Amino acid sequence: MSSELERRLEGLLAVLPEPDAGAGEEALHRALRALHPAAPARRGLRAAVLMFAATAVLLGIAAGSLAAAGALHVHFGAAKPKPIVARTLQLPSGTAGIAAVVNGRLSVVTKGGFRLQGLPVSAASLSPHALFVAAGIGHSLVAMAPDGHRAWSHPTRGTVVAIAWAPFGNRIAYIVRAPGRLVLRVIWGNGKNDEVIAREVRAVRPSWRADSLAFAYVGAGGKAIVYDLGHRSRSVIAVRAPVTGVAFAPTGDSIAVEQLDGIWVLHQSAAEKIPGHVDAFGWLNGRLADVVPGQNFVLVRLFAPSGASRGSYRQQGVAVTVTPKLVVVRKGRNLVAGRTTLLTVPRGATVRSLEIG
Amino acid sequence: MREPSDRDLVRRARRGDREAAAALFRRYWRDAWRAAFAITGRRSLADDVAADGFERAFAALGRFDERRPFGPWLHRIVANRALDVLRAERRVSDEELPDTPDLAPVHASGDRSLLASVAELSLERRVVVVLRYGVGMTPKQIAEALDLPVGTVNSRLARSLEQLRESLEVEHVE
Repeated sequence: MSSELERRLEGLLAVLPEPDAGAGEEALHRALRALHPAAPARRGLRAAVLMFAATAVLLGIAAGSLAAAGALHVHFGAAKPKPIVARTLQLPSGTAGIAAVVNGRLSVVTKGGFRLQGLPVSAASLSPHALFVAAGIGHSLVAMAPDGHRAWSHPTRGTVVAIAWAPFGNRIAYIVRAPGRLVLRVIWGNGKNDEVIAREVRAVRPSWRADSLAFAYVGAGGKAIVYDLGHRSRSVIAVRAPVTGVAFAPTGDSIAVEQLDGIWVLHQSAAEKIPGHVDAFGWLNGRLADVVPGQNFVLVRLFAPSGASRGSYRQQGVAVTVTPKLVVVRKGRNLVAGRTTLLTVPRGATVRSLEIG
Repeated sequence: MREPSDRDLVRRARRGDREAAAALFRRYWRDAWRAAFAITGRRSLADDVAADGFERAFAALGRFDERRPFGPWLHRIVANRALDVLRAERRVSDEELPDTPDLAPVHASGDRSLLASVAELSLERRVVVVLRYGVGMTPKQIAEALDLPVGTVNSRLARSLEQLRESLEVEHVE
């Protein structure tokens, strides 16, 4: 029988505030991205598949300067580590390494072969030429050589949730979780001169402009903001909130800004919207690429910086990350077998299978 | 037309039907967010926690046993995520962190004395109170959600009510 106190409690908690509409839209967007169609398989196999999905294999693929040579094995959860098997990769030229965070564990591959494997991190980003990798470890931002040797460590007093190393290597923008909010900071590439840039931001990876003098981030209100380090100024990009992703082009100052229902490309004072819900987007060999989800495939669409279409292709798979040189697709069947496939563009030639689990 | 059941939506979502997944989200977002808010006491954390909860739930939908109700399973994920975040905050800071939620501003016209007392409950007690009286879960469901024995849940509820009564009595005396 309900007591007077219990009735008061029910009444009290019945008038809790309502969530903001914007937060709901953003959360829906994130949740749909995490949705993966289950393979029509036996229960055990299906469980394995979704264990794989839950770990969000590709979410942490460091979207910085990726592409690679070497071999990479990534292991999940409690699975027993497998011996590292180095393989030669035929990957795009002009690239130096891959950093992948899988289920909270970092793997780094460079031209010299496999380097780090399974280091627990919260986020990671490669420096230019893959000379170093910056990673959130515990409550520190740590810069390491690809073999794991620490160059420096900086205490953050919170978990680092996103890292972006500037193209010139001179600075690192990172987001750290503080009590009740996320703080955007910038530190020099040598681990010195750490400073706060914004006291409340969203957990969206910052993106550096090609000249390393400015970067874009998403403020607490969901607006895309460009912070100019030279002038210590910030400008709000005129795109409706909530913004869910930002990506400067690797050359020039074009920028792609992701919303829930499409991507705006801002290029030379012009703005073009590419409609559609996408799983991932980024700049790929100088073109904007977005990936539209399908039932058992993805559609990779390519655009010029002006927003003009430059073709598309279909690829079997269920999840994708776009990096400067690669599109990463998680393939349905391979998912069951525990594999992720890296693809180059154009036309989706398979480059490398990553054995997972 | 009759609304599809949770089970139908879950089945379709597991096959990759985004419309079904979105319908499931809309059906539970408000409750999940309010549970997250009631536990964390902060809007920004509630946004993160509820979004994380859905993200994790959808990513793990294939492991979900369709014979069980979806709501409690989701709330379990959200509640555990909220606890993880709050515990991590306590570990992170050298300072005294706001262990109690800052609920008062949004309840200016509500039962403020009771609210203040709820806010004073320990995190473990507050969670069971929120799930029981805010989300409407049974002790058994809470036990499943938090991976606790039912007896522990009942005991925490009883002690919470006792603490709240004492707290309110003191307030009346004052």
